[in-house]
Amino acid sequence: MSVTQPNAVIATQPVSRAAELSWLRRAARGVRLFVRRSPMSAVWACVAAGIIFMAVAAPVLAPYAPLKSDFRRMTKPPEPPHYFGTDQIGRDTLSRVIYGSRASLTVAFGAVLLGTTVGALWGLASGYFGGRFDIVSQRLIEFMQSFPDLILAMAIAMALGAGMGTVIVAIAITRIPFGGRVIRAVVLSLKELSYVEAARGLGASHLRMMARHILPQCIAPYLILATTHLGVAIIIEASLGFLGVGIPPPMPTWGNMLADSLNAGLVPPWWLVLFPGMAITITVLAFNLLGDGIRDILDPRLRGAVK
Amino acid sequence: MYSYIVRRLAFGAVTVVGVSIVVFVVMRVLPGDPLIAIFGPEGFTKLTAEQRANYMAELGLSDPLVFQYLHWMRDIASGSFGRSFFRSENVADMILRRGPLTAEIAFLSVVLSWVVGIPVAVVSALRPNSLSDNLSRFISILFLAVPGFWLGMLIVLALLFWFGYRAPLANVSLFIDPLANLQIVIGPAIVLGLGQAAYIARMARSSLLEVIREDYVRTARAKGLSGRLVISLHALPNALLPVITLSGILLGFVLAGSIPVERAFGTPGLGYAMFSAVNERDVFVMQNLVFLYAVVFVLLNILVDLTIAWLDPRIRYQ
Repeated sequence: MSVTQPNAVIATQPVSRAAELSWLRRAARGVRLFVRRSPMSAVWACVAAGIIFMAVAAPVLAPYAPLKSDFRRMTKPPEPPHYFGTDQIGRDTLSRVIYGSRASLTVAFGAVLLGTTVGALWGLASGYFGGRFDIVSQRLIEFMQSFPDLILAMAIAMALGAGMGTVIVAIAITRIPFGGRVIRAVVLSLKELSYVEAARGLGASHLRMMARHILPQCIAPYLILATTHLGVAIIIEASLGFLGVGIPPPMPTWGNMLADSLNAGLVPPWWLVLFPGMAITITVLAFNLLGDGIRDILDPRLRGAVK
Repeated sequence: MYSYIVRRLAFGAVTVVGVSIVVFVVMRVLPGDPLIAIFGPEGFTKLTAEQRANYMAELGLSDPLVFQYLHWMRDIASGSFGRSFFRSENVADMILRRGPLTAEIAFLSVVLSWVVGIPVAVVSALRPNSLSDNLSRFISILFLAVPGFWLGMLIVLALLFWFGYRAPLANVSLFIDPLANLQIVIGPAIVLGLGQAAYIARMARSSLLEVIREDYVRTARAKGLSGRLVISLHALPNALLPVITLSGILLGFVLAGSIPVERAFGTPGLGYAMFSAVNERDVFVMQNLVFLYAVVFVLLNILVDLTIAWLDPRIRYQ
């Protein structure tokens, strides 16, 4: 023992550094692959990264405080101090658009992570155990999918009351069926493979089977699923805000801003309509195309097709 | 075929019951006091305990949940759908008055999505990676990202700015004044139709590209049919099967999308009623409308499935 221990300490260090290096190198190779395979997606990935940066650095980037109203400059069209104009109580639209990205992205990431993860675990369990549990789960998922997304989210958000948490939960619930279906299908096909059967033959417990042998194979489809749903989640969040069941008013969100513009008078000022909507469109476009790129790389079937 | 229809309808009936339970659970059982939903958090705190109990009893909310559910089912079966808190008319009248407008919008938008989406897909698929293909793909990707209600607001604004035109805001029946009715319906239908057309063009393109590689299409070419005939008679019918299924799924997109879009255009349809119900916190109207939308969605999808089965024997004989 006393003799081997120093050796072990010496031995572990280079190994761990090598592992770190190879991890970095693997990441770099992944990025290079991504750029080479779909340059357009790489561009849009940069746009998405820019939007995330905008959300994080909002206090630095925004020229004004998003809630500060200036009653000398109410409903002014875009002109130098206020590049995107001001709303009916003199708040700077540019700053509000920048801050709006925070709400959008928080809700989108929160809801998609929560919803697809719950759905994926559910799908994993129902695909793995099968039988009665699977049948009941399938029916439940079918019931949930009988609602158009936005309507279910509206009903849940209305029942739970306004707030960012409830919006996240409401959108997350509409994502559960997708996660459940996709992962269940993956698990069903995996269950037939001989390595899984071998693991079972060796006496692995259910938990170990699921966690060690089946779950790792679900990561790629899970990532594809999650990224493709980000865009939808952003649109649902904006729609909820626009319909008045989203995050409650003082907080600037793109949907709320569009709803506010309709309250500004008979004819909404064009700058209050144009800019928040453009922010939604560009963000959704960026995340959709990023999702497409990730799918192209991770989906083995598509990978074969590209070559 | 008949056994398939019966099976599909039976499934549909189970789904409708399940849907009603989900709606009930969401609207009544989820944490969140219905009185808070109705009066708002501030209004709720001003009510005395006695008032609260009275309101609950009056609204039938103090009965056991099972009874509440059965009462609701009885209201639906009797065709009245219960009443609204804030309006004198009952929900059934509201649906009859406003429903046709939304139905027209949905129908027109589906027609429009096919009229726009399929030709675009054919042009794309015939010359993959050409300029026109790339352009149409970019436009469809763009339209997947544009929120319909925002596009609607822009259209309303642009028409006002440049032509001083605003669609009439009153609800006009198709049979009384078709022209005014069309003016109300066409805006939302275009917005929702273009949104669907983007999905349809994408799907039809990839499905056409797959079908074009099949042997029977090559045979048709080899025996000397013109390109146009090969596409329209041989390739398209098979390529459109998945597009029909997608179109059924997209009906959910139309039904849900019509809510913010009708709000953007100020169209007095059912979607607008749902928007009002949410903002007036009218739980009962909301509950019935959500149920109605879900049932319509389920029924239309059964219709789509039956159409597919009718067109494709492989499904019928499964």
